[in-house]
Amino acid sequence: MDQLGLLAQGFAGALTPMNMLWVVVGCVLGTAVGVLPGLGSSMAVALLLPMTFALDPTAAFIMFSGVYFGGLFGDSTMAILMNTPGQGSAIASTFEGHKMAKMGRAPQALATAAIGAFTGGMIASIVVVFLAPKLADLSANFGPAEFFALALFAFVATSSIVADSVLKGLMSLILGLGVAVVGIDSFTGSERFTMGVPQMFDGISIVTVTVAVLALGEVFHVAARIRRDPEAHEITVSGRPFLTREEFQEAAPAWLRGTAIGLPFGVITVGGSEVPTFMAFDLERRLDRRRPDPQFGSGAIRGLAGPEAAGNATTGTAMGALLALGLPVSATAAIMLAAFQQYGLQPGPLLFDRAPELVWSLLASFFLAMVVLLVLNLPFAPLWAKLLLIPKPYLYAGIMLFCGLGVYATSGSTFDLFMLLGIALIGFAMRRHDVPLAPLMIGMVLGPLAETSMRDALLKSDGDYSVFVQGWIPQVIYIVLLIVLAFVVRSKVRSRTSLDT
Amino acid sequence: MSHIDTGDVHAGDTDAAPPPRPVPSHGWWTGRSGLVIPLILAAFSTYLVIGNLTMHQPAKVDFPGPTFYPWLLAVAGYVIAAMLAVQYVRRPEPVEETGSGTYRTYCDWAAVAWCVGGFLAFALTLEILGWIPAAALLFWCVSRGIGSKRPLFDLSLALVVSSVVYLAFAVGLGLNLPSGIIGGGF
Repeated sequence: MDQLGLLAQGFAGALTPMNMLWVVVGCVLGTAVGVLPGLGSSMAVALLLPMTFALDPTAAFIMFSGVYFGGLFGDSTMAILMNTPGQGSAIASTFEGHKMAKMGRAPQALATAAIGAFTGGMIASIVVVFLAPKLADLSANFGPAEFFALALFAFVATSSIVADSVLKGLMSLILGLGVAVVGIDSFTGSERFTMGVPQMFDGISIVTVTVAVLALGEVFHVAARIRRDPEAHEITVSGRPFLTREEFQEAAPAWLRGTAIGLPFGVITVGGSEVPTFMAFDLERRLDRRRPDPQFGSGAIRGLAGPEAAGNATTGTAMGALLALGLPVSATAAIMLAAFQQYGLQPGPLLFDRAPELVWSLLASFFLAMVVLLVLNLPFAPLWAKLLLIPKPYLYAGIMLFCGLGVYATSGSTFDLFMLLGIALIGFAMRRHDVPLAPLMIGMVLGPLAETSMRDALLKSDGDYSVFVQGWIPQVIYIVLLIVLAFVVRSKVRSRTSLDT
Repeated sequence: MSHIDTGDVHAGDTDAAPPPRPVPSHGWWTGRSGLVIPLILAAFSTYLVIGNLTMHQPAKVDFPGPTFYPWLLAVAGYVIAAMLAVQYVRRPEPVEETGSGTYRTYCDWAAVAWCVGGFLAFALTLEILGWIPAAALLFWCVSRGIGSKRPLFDLSLALVVSSVVYLAFAVGLGLNLPSGIIGGGF
């Protein structure tokens, strides 16, 4: 077992007292920023990115993994407590998790999320350790046509699975793809859609869009209703942080099922962890309906445990994909990619040969970050739940303030603040009319990959479109895509007819 | 800013009506305000089209040039916008009022205006006044919009919060926040 030896070396590199300190600091800061209402895990990474440049690369990435997983936990915390998921991957946790919180079971919900995240993340990290080098080998076969097929698959899968209305999902997707084309074209150097504004030459920042639609838009959405319907926004906090044996037994299978769903999604990189979290949620709901006493709708612990485990399992394997393929599949991974490039490292197949000690220390630090997080967060869950006691006006005022802070800090110009407001208003309109936001984020993150691989493929083939379906990998992807589409159409038709009867 | 409070004029003037009730009718527009969604998409597609037509390209560009992919997006945008518009016209999506009053609109536009206006003021004044006053102004406007009734207490709280954030992030973490007129004086 070659990998085990390398991993042991990684642990040896990561387990110095200083590095342990960075993991703990990273976990605490990541959770703290992720928990700050309106700032998600990608904000946590983005905000703390400048700080890590003072460290050597190994320490920086070890701290990063702490920040990242801490931020993810913070996302879920806010999704459960406030119904404001900091990141698309936490959306599925809001449905049953927030209901649990509303019924006064917030601490148990947080504990369920923490253990789910631990289970999913741990298993995913183990899978990454054994698969990442093989994945790196496989990815050597990936050309533009393969990447284009992957991106297309991600787009169709998310906008049709996530959305109630496929049209609304597509609307969101097109906006996201369109936002991603703004900036200087990497092929020809042409300025595209910048109106000559220098701040737009590098494109519209993912951080700005994330904060705008997920945080600012949510505040506007809450503001639009809270004075008229305060009961819908009320939450009580009580109870114990630890799960009873029954609750644990109830959640355990859901954690494992969620992990199983989440794992492959990170490896085949189909656009963040939204899809697997929703699939896990859907699976739990279907299983729940067959039980004698369905729990869904009234704060089902399984409806939270499944998506949480799936989300972190995907995140774990997605980090493997980032390392092995150099392919960022989420906003956070995109920021991590930027961090690697700051250190002159290019993630991808070659990274395992060029900087093995860094890669294996990073993988080892994933395990450490999981353990630290579980130890930190189980006792702290009730403390985070206390956030709900902040009066609503000050809570949301604080969210807005931190949104302004985060975006101004990462861009350094007020131009981005105006852009933030504009996009937030669009996000507000989308929320008001039930247009899903996840496709927008995915279009934004994977849009550039889709475009460059499409143009690359067409340039190489002199405009011959058949290049997209020549290899066996794209063919397999397209066949799976057709199956998914058929499945979606079938369930839509079925739900429509069952509504009518 | 006299229009700000119009949202509450009708509050509490009904007593026994059983919730939920539909929002008062706006004629043809009832349940069709969602048409703003295809409108946004069509406007964005138009922006892409105009950008494509006015783009400065290198003299010789191989086939899928910088405008190729945006053209695809713009066309798809128009098609989806048209389909969404048709869907809203044929099947409106009316909302039900779940609160205790009867209001002219579903959204509390006065509250939204406070939040949006507060953020706009923050963006406009940040580099002139500096972080502490601008952020305090933002905090105060939003807390008022969400429904706080204590303007003076809010003001002091806003100043405390923005100062603490300034100390933690600008002084502590070294983020580059503008100190503005206050910092300039020292």
